Amino acid sequence: MDKNIKILIVDDFSTMRRIIKNLLRDLGFTNTEEADDGTTALPMLQNGSFDLLVTDWNMPGMQGIDLLKHVRADENLSSLPVLMVTAEQKKEQIVEAAQAGVNGYIVKPFTAQTLKEKLDKIFERLEA
Amino acid sequence: MSDDQVISEDNLARARDLQAAIEAGDEKGAKEIIDDLTDIRENTLYQEVGKLTRELHDAISAFGMDDRIADITEHDIPDARQRLNFVITKTADAADRTLTAVEESIPICENMETQAAEILESWRQFTKREMDAEGFRKLSKEIDGFLLTQSDGFSTLKGHLNDVLMAQDFQDLTGQIITRVINLVAEVEANLVNLIKIAGLPEHNPEAEKKSGEKLEGPVVPGVDSGDTVSGQDEVDDLLSSLGF
Repeated sequence: MDKNIKILIVDDFSTMRRIIKNLLRDLGFTNTEEADDGTTALPMLQNGSFDLLVTDWNMPGMQGIDLLKHVRADENLSSLPVLMVTAEQKKEQIVEAAQAGVNGYIVKPFTAQTLKEKLDKIFERLEA
Repeated sequence: MSDDQVISEDNLARARDLQAAIEAGDEKGAKEIIDDLTDIRENTLYQEVGKLTRELHDAISAFGMDDRIADITEHDIPDARQRLNFVITKTADAADRTLTAVEESIPICENMETQAAEILESWRQFTKREMDAEGFRKLSKEIDGFLLTQSDGFSTLKGHLNDVLMAQDFQDLTGQIITRVINLVAEVEANLVNLIKIAGLPEHNPEAEKKSGEKLEGPVVPGVDSGDTVSGQDEVDDLLSSLGF
């Protein structure tokens, strides 16, 4: 798997962004950028040739689920892999995210191992 | 409440009398029965209004007398808001300090790891007697430099670990603050329940409960029922694989 891929991390809490950024770096992914909600993330995605989006759900401004829907509706971004990392654990929400086309769903609090597994799975499918 | 009960033996009898009077063409008799019914209706209404007025009066006086409620709204709630904001600031600050210490420690560890691996490589050559005098001079210089940076690195690392340790001091303060806010919420709840009882409103509102289910729930808290949720990553994975993921 290419470790130079460009990853956008979207979360309204800077501590969570830093944790994800550090975990990704530990896994060898150093090319990361950050945004604090969907409204800031979307233009970055549209202009930035990102290879992966890691996003929270519950954020002020545009929520993660809406960001996902915007990404899927945008013809240039529609195939971008999206990993959701969120505290939302309601079954209907997980189903909603799946239906909106999420590629992975991680519930907080999570471990470095879980993040690695989900990333591996996403890239495995992309390469298949 | 039996006074304003419409379905009663008395009313049935009156209705029958009224029907009989109308069928018999007894204008005066029918009118009397209708007047009777109106009187009954009005009396019940006056009684109810009287009762409500008295209850409202009692409730207002009880409320006015309870300085504690005024105190809660004027002082305790804004105070609690401020305290909870302080909890957010404190915990965010602790997380930041910890992350900074960790972020500054990782390169030191990585550096030590690399240097140690290099020296180990040379050391292996030396123990296998595959090293000349020049190589050995180089190795001892490397070891010297390594031990020196190690010593610096370890003292920096120790400093960072100490930062992480000290960043945990929020727990004591935030714990105390949150306990106080929990107590306040319990008090407000007790007062609201009283108010609901005085006002005679039903305590359960299924409409309101249904509405609250539509928004995001946030983190699941052990022991607090938040509907149809999963209890960890394994269940998320199971759910998604059942959907064909």
